[in-house]
Amino acid sequence: MWIFEYRELIHILTVSNLRVKYQSSVLGFAWSLLNPLLLMLVLYFVYSHLFVTQTKNFAIFLLVGIITFRVWANGTSSALSSIFEQSSLVTKIYIPRQIIVFSVVLSGLISSLLEFVVLFAFTLVFGIIPTTSIVLFPVILVIYFLIVYGMSLPLAALFVYYRDLNQIWTVIVQLAFFICPVMYSLAIIPAQYLPYYTLNPVTIVMTSFRDIFLYGTFPDLLSLLILCGLTIGILIIGTLIFSRLERRFAEEL
Amino acid sequence: MTNPRMNRKIITSRSGETDIAIDVFHLTKQFLIPQERKRSIFEHVKGLLKGGSYRYEIFSALDDVSFTVKKGESFGVIGPNGSGKSTVLKVLAGVLYADSGTVEINGLVSPFLELGVGFTPDLTAKENVYLYGAIMGIPTRELDQRYEEIFKFAELKRFENMKLRHFSSGMILRLAFSTAVQTDPEVMLVDEGLAVGDASFKKKSWEKIDELQKKGTTILLVSHDLEVISRLCSKCLLLQKGKVVMTGKTAEVIEMYNKIIERGELVENMKRKKLNIVTLTDK
Repeated sequence: MWIFEYRELIHILTVSNLRVKYQSSVLGFAWSLLNPLLLMLVLYFVYSHLFVTQTKNFAIFLLVGIITFRVWANGTSSALSSIFEQSSLVTKIYIPRQIIVFSVVLSGLISSLLEFVVLFAFTLVFGIIPTTSIVLFPVILVIYFLIVYGMSLPLAALFVYYRDLNQIWTVIVQLAFFICPVMYSLAIIPAQYLPYYTLNPVTIVMTSFRDIFLYGTFPDLLSLLILCGLTIGILIIGTLIFSRLERRFAEEL
Repeated sequence: MTNPRMNRKIITSRSGETDIAIDVFHLTKQFLIPQERKRSIFEHVKGLLKGGSYRYEIFSALDDVSFTVKKGESFGVIGPNGSGKSTVLKVLAGVLYADSGTVEINGLVSPFLELGVGFTPDLTAKENVYLYGAIMGIPTRELDQRYEEIFKFAELKRFENMKLRHFSSGMILRLAFSTAVQTDPEVMLVDEGLAVGDASFKKKSWEKIDELQKKGTTILLVSHDLEVISRLCSKCLLLQKGKVVMTGKTAEVIEMYNKIIERGELVENMKRKKLNIVTLTDK
């Protein structure tokens, strides 16, 4: 399996990604934390003053949604151009190409971990006592990582051939921000659409994280099973598309 | 997909020899060159609306190429521009897929298609050495041991914590070469610029390469530089337009190569003369 065979390379590539990202600005990490917090403040202001919301602890509710969404949005967007940007790793040497995508998504996950730490601190400030359900957090985060990675594979591969995919993806990410329940709860979805609506893996992860951090309950077992099924499906399809497209990478780059 | 670095099986050539390092058998590689290059979804949709079909030109980069390189041998690949030299190397390195035919390499491979693959300007020299080493497949523990040697050879110890961004191109190449030779390859695939830097570093690089050669490293070298080829390689392959013209002793192959070039120039001169005649008669 390439993950074990190339673990040292994955490790070094991931660390290098993080170094380049945060070394250039001293405030690097601080900025990456401020970003979701500021967005939360804006949305909080809009929702609690313009529209009246009944959700309890709405600030935490928003923050979980925003941070969860960012893992997916930032992960796929940076992975999209990863192969293209590091083209010399494809054209000048042979390494399994999925490693490039994998390490970019992994470094995104590591920077989001810090955001989750801040989120955890916020829940304590708001007087929410964590329950044992928090043991599920790392498990779901790993599953979520696999989903983001599985979706990134075809994106990164297609971008090699279609150089305007990033423009389209930006729009899709913006659309997804409203499709996923970042700012609203599942209660506003009409009951007849709910089964379809909750097929979105990002939605399942988001509601599970809210169960864990906000309500202190265990996520619904059935939706976790669906999540696992979706993850496997996304990984298989992503890998298939990637391995089909990677054959001519070196000719296109 | 197999990783060429891990491809350690002993291959037996068709004649039953076991001392073969590289075996290329009826290798064919074609490139599809679209007449209109479409690089975006937008262009594809536009093309579909217009109702145009996709037309490709097939460019045969390699046509039924076969050769074997024995263990410990230094083997040169020469040929005019566009003859498919670099394509052979890229297929061997696993970067390009072969359309048909097989390529087998026996032993640990180090591709040197370019020095300093993956170098990142925003990282320090030290970080880059570890990054490049990992890309070239050197285990971190081994790199720890060879770390001092790399910087000593590159004569860059003073700058180990400086960002690569502030390095001169010569310094970068020196660092890359010093790291790359630490791979201890059994088979080295090299494209052009093998020895780099100023005269004294070049000399050091050549000594290092001679040392590797003596150790029994198999070297496959693609180059335009006939002097380098005849200095290093005992056997040579001459390619022209993707086809093998001849394989044999370096001196003989180079002689043939020179003939081809002369003939090419002759043809060109004749064409030019013909053109002159045409223009004269036109007047």
